[in-house]
This record gives sequence, structure tokens and C-alpha cells, in this order.
Amino acid sequence: MAKRITIDPITRIEGHLRIDCEIEGGKVTNAWSSGQMWRGIETILKGRDPRDAWIFTQRFCGV
Amino acid sequence: MQLEEITDGSPVSGVSRRDFIKFCSAVAATLGMPGMGDQIAEAVVTQKRPPVLWLSAQECTGCTESLLRTSHPSLEKLILELISLEYHETLLAGSGKQAEEWRQKSMKENKGKYILVVDGSIPVKDNGIYCKIGGKTALALLEEMSTQAAAVIAIGSCASWGGLPSADPNPTGATAVHEIFKSKGIKTPCVNIPGCPPNPYNFLSTVLYFLTFKKLPELDEQARPKFAYGRLIHENCERRPHFDAGRFALQFGDDGHRKGYCLYKLGCKGPETFANCPTQLFNDVGSGAWPVGTGHPCFGCTEKGVGFTKPLHSPASPKYFTPPSILPRVDEKRGHGLTIAGVAVAAGIAGAALGASAVTSKKLGKEDEEQGKSGSREK
Repeated sequence: MAKRITIDPITRIEGHLRIDCEIEGGKVTNAWSSGQMWRGIETILKGRDPRDAWIFTQRFCGV
Repeated sequence: MQLEEITDGSPVSGVSRRDFIKFCSAVAATLGMPGMGDQIAEAVVTQKRPPVLWLSAQECTGCTESLLRTSHPSLEKLILELISLEYHETLLAGSGKQAEEWRQKSMKENKGKYILVVDGSIPVKDNGIYCKIGGKTALALLEEMSTQAAAVIAIGSCASWGGLPSADPNPTGATAVHEIFKSKGIKTPCVNIPGCPPNPYNFLSTVLYFLTFKKLPELDEQARPKFAYGRLIHENCERRPHFDAGRFALQFGDDGHRKGYCLYKLGCKGPETFANCPTQLFNDVGSGAWPVGTGHPCFGCTEKGVGFTKPLHSPASPKYFTPPSILPRVDEKRGHGLTIAGVAVAAGIAGAALGASAVTSKKLGKEDEEQGKSGSREK
């Protein structure tokens, strides 16, 4: 029977990352990573002056 | 004054006394409280480091980066040793369960005493599922952590007024911390340090003020400290004389832009944005290190309803007018209004911007007329 481990939050990175792993016989057999935060920047950009786009997209990540 | 290194094991151990006093005096100056440096210094060395828990919601980590970029001598040391940073997702060594356990432990041990710093807006749409940490929503975590805190500092525009995530159509229901407090009836004192990113010294000065005086600094109606957000960018802008004289950059790279003229016509929001950017500057590299100084219009990040809301290159709506630099001649004859040439010059140059000068000229003419009338009555 596979054992499942969840690591959330993953620290020392920017953003909210979660890792799920399935472990069987001491080996990782399956794994998922997922971002736990969503702002919808693509949706926000729709219909705006294209010259404004950078001010939003550069803030995907401030690192 | 002793100049040796402080080695007494106090929070500032390993820092030269000179650097430490210099730093505390600079903080006092930022706060607009010159002479209070010694009191701040005393509070820093004699007290236990205040525990700080940092909650990240819908953010980009720009606020944390801004804070880490402070480069006064030994300042990063002071930040890390001045406060006791108990929990911060980006800086914490342990992950997953370890991180969560430490958060719980620290909250329990420092109940009612810690400062909660929040960066990022709180999504409320669909029960807050758009931001989760360790399986809990940011909304639930904010409620849990803020009710046990001594004070809350909302750092950055997102936490202060919603910022980028709250921009129309606000897909996730991104909400500012103080608005959540209002709707949930949370009474913990909350101060906003907006900016995208905010100036780290405004944050640090607020923390030190709280540490020294055991209360939050004086705030404006948007809960921003007045020492940092009391004046318009426009009031202290080094390009202000160009605005008053009607000299504007009309396109990026044009002659006016190259000469450092006013950026109002490129959409600068300085006339409606309250912040100390022109005087506090960024990154400790000297003059000109702020958006307008580098030749780009201010986009109003500290101001709700301006940043991420008004189009970047649409002209600002100035909050209030101040007298233009070009006024009628001081020896203008009374009772005759202004000379035609005087009005034309004033209206043509300064009035080109806003017509402010023409209005002033008209008023002066009217006053002169009234004075003339009263003068004739005396006869």
C-alpha cells in the first residue's frame, strides 16, 4: 500500500507551493506539485490598454 | 561617544555603536521626530526583541524583497536581530508540518504580544479557496492570527487596499486586511504601509515607533502613518519646478524627457498620490532612485483608486492646487487689474498646465478692484 506524504507549505521559495508524494517500498512512485494561490492576472488584463500590461505581469513574482 | 563594537549580547551585538546610533537617528528623522534617536536606541537595546509573525497571502514577495534590500550598514543584521522573526514562509527553514507546528507554538507563547505582518490581499470569493497555506485559507489564518496579535501591520498595496489582485474585475474577491477586520469585527489595531513595493524604512520606522512608544504612530483616514504618507508626491518632487513652469515631457525619449521635465502629461499620478518616495528614495544609492527620478511617471501604487485602477498614461486629477511660481509683478499698480502682457505671460506659461495661473490672475484683479473701491469710499 502506497504511503502519501504532503508537504505544505514549501518554504524558502516565493509563492505558495504544495507537494504531494506517493511512496512505495522507500521510493517515490508518484508526485504532484501545485500552486496554492491564484490571482487571475490574465483575467485582470483583458480589455486594458496594452501599455499597462507590464505593470501587472511583472508582479507575477517580485523576487 | 564610544565607537567600539557593541558586544554585550544585546539585540544589536556585533554592530558598531556609531552605526547603531546613526541608524536610530535616521529612523527618528524618517518619523519626523528629530532628537528622538536616543530614545529609540534605548528601547531597542533594553527590550526583548518583539516577536513578529509574517503571513503571506495573495502576494508576489516583492514586499519581502524590498525589506531584504535595505543596505544601511548592518541593517539586515538589525532587522533579523532587532525583531524576532518567528514565522515567514519565504525565510523559514522548516517546511510543511514543521512550519505549521512552529507557527502554532510561537502564537501560543507570544499570545497578545506579537506583531502580525501581512503581505498580500485576502481572497474572499468562493470561501477564500484562492489562497491556501497548509490546507487552511488565508482568510481563516488571518482571523486566527490577527485576533491574538498586539498589532497588525499590512505591508504593501495588496494588504493595504487590495492592490493588483483587487483590480477590476477582481476575479478572486481580493480584499484588504482592514476591510476584513471591519466585516469580521476584529478590533486589533491595524496600520497600512502601502506601496508596490513599499519603502522598507517606512515599515521599519513604524515597527520601531511601536517598540519605543507602545502605540502606533499617527495615522491618516486610510490608516497610513502620517510621517510617511502625509504629503503628495507632487509636493516634494524634484521635477515640480518644471510643472509650475509648464515644461512637460510629451513622449518618452523626446527632448523634454531627456531634459528631465515634468512627467504629468505622460500620466504621472504624483499630484494625487500620497507617499514620501521623492524624499525617502529607494535602495540607498543616492539621489534620483525612485520612479519619477528614473524618468517614469508615478503610477499611484500607494493610493486606492489610482494604482492598478487608472490607466497608466491618463493624466492625474490633482488633489489640490498650489500657487504657481509665476505671479504678477510685485510692483503691479493697484486698482487697474493686471497689465494685459502680465496676464498673457502668466496664463500662457504656467496656465498651460492647468489654467491655475489665469484663475489666480483673475482673482488678484478682482481683489485689486475691491481695494480700489474701498479706497474711493475713504475719500
